[in-house]
Amino acid sequence: MKWRIIPLHVTNGFTAMAIDEAVSESVKEGSDSTIRFWRWNPSTVSIGYFQGIEDEVNLNECKKNNIDVVRRRTGGGAVYHDYNGEITYSVIGKEEIFPKSIHESYNIICGWVIKGLSNIGIDSKFIPINDIIASGKKISGNAQTRRNGVLLQHGTILYDLDVNKMFSLLKISKEKISDKMIKSVEDRVTKIKNFKNIDIEEAYNAIMKGFTINKEFYIGKLTNEEINRAKELASEKYSSKKWNYMR
Amino acid sequence: MEKIVTEKIHGGKLVRIKINFEKNIENIKITGDFFLYPEESIEKIENSLIGIDKNSSEEIITNKIKKIVKENNIELIGIDEESISKLIIKSIS
Repeated sequence: MKWRIIPLHVTNGFTAMAIDEAVSESVKEGSDSTIRFWRWNPSTVSIGYFQGIEDEVNLNECKKNNIDVVRRRTGGGAVYHDYNGEITYSVIGKEEIFPKSIHESYNIICGWVIKGLSNIGIDSKFIPINDIIASGKKISGNAQTRRNGVLLQHGTILYDLDVNKMFSLLKISKEKISDKMIKSVEDRVTKIKNFKNIDIEEAYNAIMKGFTINKEFYIGKLTNEEINRAKELASEKYSSKKWNYMR
Repeated sequence: MEKIVTEKIHGGKLVRIKINFEKNIENIKITGDFFLYPEESIEKIENSLIGIDKNSSEEIITNKIKKIVKENNIELIGIDEESISKLIIKSIS
């Protein structure tokens, strides 16, 4: 099988989530499995499907800083996606091409991220449930869902990070930190720039190679149907109060 | 009465229970950074807990959740029936 690769592009958070859903629908209908890379503009906070928006996000601070807030259709935690701070990917494919076990399928896809990081000279490993760590600190968070026979996994690879800004936008739960017996989030998060001073395009090229090595693939783009469906989902679902304030 | 209890499950994820109750559970929301498939079935679990007597045992609540999980082929990751039940007991007792 051949993978469609959609190279690094820039999109807002509502559209990003809508594209993932639109592509999932088209893969269900027989389109090629797809790997997509993007950056968030404006910078956005995304929250997990099960999280309470007001529990997790300083909404006033987001508004002041023109940061969008969007609920994902995947579980997991709240993430601040800085335009200059990360490379984000989505993998969308028929469930049958992945192991049935959620853990194993995370392991496989996170392995592509790990390979990409190794191309930059960063040694990292997958830590279940859904993290990748380098030098003992989180460098990538990932989230997966399966629906209608299609697997979607999206995740972030931290390139640079303004921890103070992240703190100001997210409400970090003290329970979460105390369990890991670590004083602060800053102590448990790292980024590509801590390992190598390369520009984001260079980092992306290395990551992309980690995803595509040993795969048959072509560089493609979204179809008109996917673009139109994504527009519809962005305006009717992902930017709606009903969806984002659901919990 | 409204109570909110938050706990990081050992080896798992953060779970927050927001519960309204008098003699029975009147409303409940289970939020957090866990994973559960299919996602919208969280509401089935929540709805199944409404009306439960606040003096119910942990076992009764666990079994109630397990039944819904089994009937709807729900898969829980980073959270389990026992920890939800424990948190509910903690919040209403």
